[in-house]
Amino acid sequence: MQPTSGISEGKFDYKAGKLIKVRAVFEGDKIKEIKITGDFFLHPEEKIEEIEASLRGKRIKEIEETLRESMGGAEYAGISPEDLTYAITEAWKRRK
Amino acid sequence: MDLRVIFDTKHRAYWNMGFDESLLAHLDEIGPTLRLYGWEPPAVSIGYFQSMEEEVNVDKAKELGVDLIRRITGGGAVYHKYELTYSIVLPAFKGRILDSYRVIDMAIIKALKKLGLEAEHHGINDVIVNGKKISGNAQTRKYGGLLQHGTLLMDVNVEEMFEILRVPEEKLKDKMIADVKHRVTSLKSEGVDVEFEELQKLMAEGFQEALNANIYEEDVPQKIYDYAHSLEVNKYATHEWNFRR
Repeated sequence: MQPTSGISEGKFDYKAGKLIKVRAVFEGDKIKEIKITGDFFLHPEEKIEEIEASLRGKRIKEIEETLRESMGGAEYAGISPEDLTYAITEAWKRRK
Repeated sequence: MDLRVIFDTKHRAYWNMGFDESLLAHLDEIGPTLRLYGWEPPAVSIGYFQSMEEEVNVDKAKELGVDLIRRITGGGAVYHKYELTYSIVLPAFKGRILDSYRVIDMAIIKALKKLGLEAEHHGINDVIVNGKKISGNAQTRKYGGLLQHGTLLMDVNVEEMFEILRVPEEKLKDKMIADVKHRVTSLKSEGVDVEFEELQKLMAEGFQEALNANIYEEDVPQKIYDYAHSLEVNKYATHEWNFRR
């Protein structure tokens, strides 16, 4: 049984051209902690910390909109708001 | 365009990355600059976004005397041993960053042509020969300029590489080694025997042609070395930087 509330952890590796690895801690359907690693390209690079920060406290259904905003203005390859939304959603589905 | 060339030797990973960043930070003063160098002792560099623990068997690397370092550029983990590495700092191109890889990769393609190899740009950031990767490249833009660095494999030992790099599943290790052998090549594997210094010269010519540049050799001012040393000690050699993700 997947927990519907409380703390859970999820991870998912998604090959979207490059590899995106999501490691997350969830509280109910909210992201409590998240780390996004991989061999993708994102310019400027420091944006990754802002993206991770933008996701904290957000509900799963809010991810895509949040990423469209926080990744706006960045140039990327092997990672897009859609790729990342998918990877985080899959990590959430696999939470334990 | 005038392009300064530094025919450098082999250095520690921390110095190499510190020097590259220092060159970029001083682009306004030194102008477009190409550095051609190697790594001693061997090292694994990981991309800016990668996790050191997830990519590398840290204990094994220590045991083998392989340095570990995080780059300021994205991309994947690279085992630096049998290769020539270049770094180039230039005023940032107009247009998309990803398109500018093609322009700089052309220098590598031209250098390989001089060695009798037909190479082409592949994917985002690779150069391939006979369908196999021989060069990987990564770029960042900071300090108002761009830094691209990349490798040209002179030889490759996939088993040695996978002693240090982690694989997702240990039971798939042999399959992954076989897979990488199918996808990666080197000058030696392509039948080209060339010395490091000779390859440096050919690479400089490749850049000269690809960028339509006048190349000249001139050392950089002392303060660029000083800043490189500061970055080496306070950033690139630190656990905080290398294990931050």
